Amino acid sequence: MSELKIGATVHLTNGMTATVKKLLGEGGQGYVYLVSVNGKDMALKWYKSAPSSSPDKFYKNLRKNADDGAPAPMFIWPEYVTQYEQGSFGYIMKLRPEGYYEFGQFLIARQRFVNVGALLTTAIEICEAYKALHAKGLSYQDLNDGNFFINPKTGHVLICDNDNAFPNGEKSGILGKARYMAPEVVTGQRMPDAYTDKFSMSLILFLVIYMNHPFEGAKVLGHPCMTEEWERKCYGSEILFIANPQDKSNGPVKGVHNNVIARWPAFPAALRDAFVREFTAPILQSPTKRLTEQQWLDILTAVRDDLIRCPYCGKETFVSQTKCMECGKTIQVNNVLVIDKRKLALTDGNMLFIDRDDTPDMRVVHTAQNPNMLVIQNLMSNEIEVQTTQGQIRIVKTNEYLPVKLGLQLKLKIRGYQYIAKIQ
Amino acid sequence: MSLLDVEAVPRRTMTLFLLADVSGSMRGSKIGAVNDAIRNVLPIVNDINDSNADAEIKIAAMTFSSGCNWVYNEPKIAADFDWPDQTAGGVTDLGEACVELANKLSKSHGFMTSGSGSFAPVLILLSDGGPTDDFNGGLDKLKQNNWYKAAIKVAIAIGDDADLEVLAKFTGNIESVIQVHDVESLKKVIRCVVVTSSQVGSKSSSTTAGGAEPATKQDETNKAIAQQLQGADNVQIGTEAANVSMDDNW
Repeated sequence: MSELKIGATVHLTNGMTATVKKLLGEGGQGYVYLVSVNGKDMALKWYKSAPSSSPDKFYKNLRKNADDGAPAPMFIWPEYVTQYEQGSFGYIMKLRPEGYYEFGQFLIARQRFVNVGALLTTAIEICEAYKALHAKGLSYQDLNDGNFFINPKTGHVLICDNDNAFPNGEKSGILGKARYMAPEVVTGQRMPDAYTDKFSMSLILFLVIYMNHPFEGAKVLGHPCMTEEWERKCYGSEILFIANPQDKSNGPVKGVHNNVIARWPAFPAALRDAFVREFTAPILQSPTKRLTEQQWLDILTAVRDDLIRCPYCGKETFVSQTKCMECGKTIQVNNVLVIDKRKLALTDGNMLFIDRDDTPDMRVVHTAQNPNMLVIQNLMSNEIEVQTTQGQIRIVKTNEYLPVKLGLQLKLKIRGYQYIAKIQ
Repeated sequence: MSLLDVEAVPRRTMTLFLLADVSGSMRGSKIGAVNDAIRNVLPIVNDINDSNADAEIKIAAMTFSSGCNWVYNEPKIAADFDWPDQTAGGVTDLGEACVELANKLSKSHGFMTSGSGSFAPVLILLSDGGPTDDFNGGLDKLKQNNWYKAAIKVAIAIGDDADLEVLAKFTGNIESVIQVHDVESLKKVIRCVVVTSSQVGSKSSSTTAGGAEPATKQDETNKAIAQQLQGADNVQIGTEAANVSMDDNW
């Protein structure tokens, strides 16, 4: 048994030491302790025993990951690795901040997103994180519901258990959970890699958005006892999408899969199209043709562009639904802001997100003098350069306004990137 | 409708069956240790259940001595499960316990009624002696039960008088029988077995990459228990006894 005692010291490869202060948690693989490193509180993941069939390779990889640093800020990445001592080893990472909860807590409805905007932020950040990880040539390998911590108020995401991230194509030797693995991994036809990660990521996105498992419908429910053998069929050789338009035999069951029944028609068609494409033949069986993270980001950005606050009741709804999903009133969209292929509704009360972060860059509001007169307020620190229909240039500084007027062209700069937007 | 209306995802149920011998020979510190260990492990099971989106863990507990009794007449989540202090007395009707377990391992008239389905259950048997009734007859009935066949099975043999062969017949495998020889070890082993089998049993099964033969949940449980109890004093996993099943006509 390699459990560490309170007050025990472990040595880090950089010469520092970590002193165990408290046991924070215990998982199948190991323990997580609160430790002090150079007077700073950190977390230590300490393996119960070598977490892989080839521990030396695993250990070396862990050290390399720690040296290379996190691919994106969402990862609670290994920062230092311990010496191989006391029959095991571990790594040091940052403590999880307050306000973040396991994704499992959301799935069992103990935690809820405060609004759909926060939910979309979660989906977008998950894509951003794996885009960065894959861009570094790594694959995550064991992507499942247990990896994510989410802030229900903001939708910000933290990703833990990053010790299985290996160079794409190399196997970590770690087993994954069948419910979250790509079918070709479940059936043993393919090793986990960046393409199988993309499948698991899409599955997590489906769970975040529709709150039901995409491959657990009537057919899977029909097995009273889910054994290992059935799991290999339901998630591998006989996998069938819950919203497969051609074969409805694994469709959602009323009273059981209520979330997806309600949300599938409510969220925009672009999302439905993307999931049907990913989760049915022939793409389901073609790992290399799966959507890239950038394609997912474009789809999710379009979904966020579609989300507005109803000008009548103030609740969130999708413009594409025409009628407010809360109060039922018809929402008139007279003008839109067009950025390349994107269209953002210029309706009263709408927040406009131009880049992919969750800070609104502009907002639409009516004037005190005329409730029918809409204006756009600049919420960015940078100014907006506006070209009028007569070709004049006017500058709109932070917190200043421009009118919602057909033909105005806006130049915005966000983090060094220039966007050209036009009011239509 | 509201875009934010949401309910918990349907979770399968994983029922953890605790079958505890409370016959006369368990009197004294043994039964005290069992009472203490089970009470202490319940909050840990509750924690495992709380953030687990794969399955909801429920507990069903039976005591057996002269006859057998369910602690509650339905499986309950750990938070709602109070373990009443058991007192020891009577003989060891393990055969009857097997028959009663088989009765409850049923979707139509037993405990496995979850509307969103179940994972294979975990069966943990604790005993310090040998059966005094028709064990083989009871076990034969149990062995025909499909839930039993799919279950993760672990037995804890308390003290030197436990009938290892009987326990190995119950689990189907001597590697799943753990012997403990003192009261402190017993507490530690109960915690380890309950926690580990709950963790393994309540999650989607592991899949091995690259076409290797997938590990079963039973193998995974055995391996994880063995790792944690490695080198522990007064604990022995399996036995040197021959791993053969003999027919009953000798």
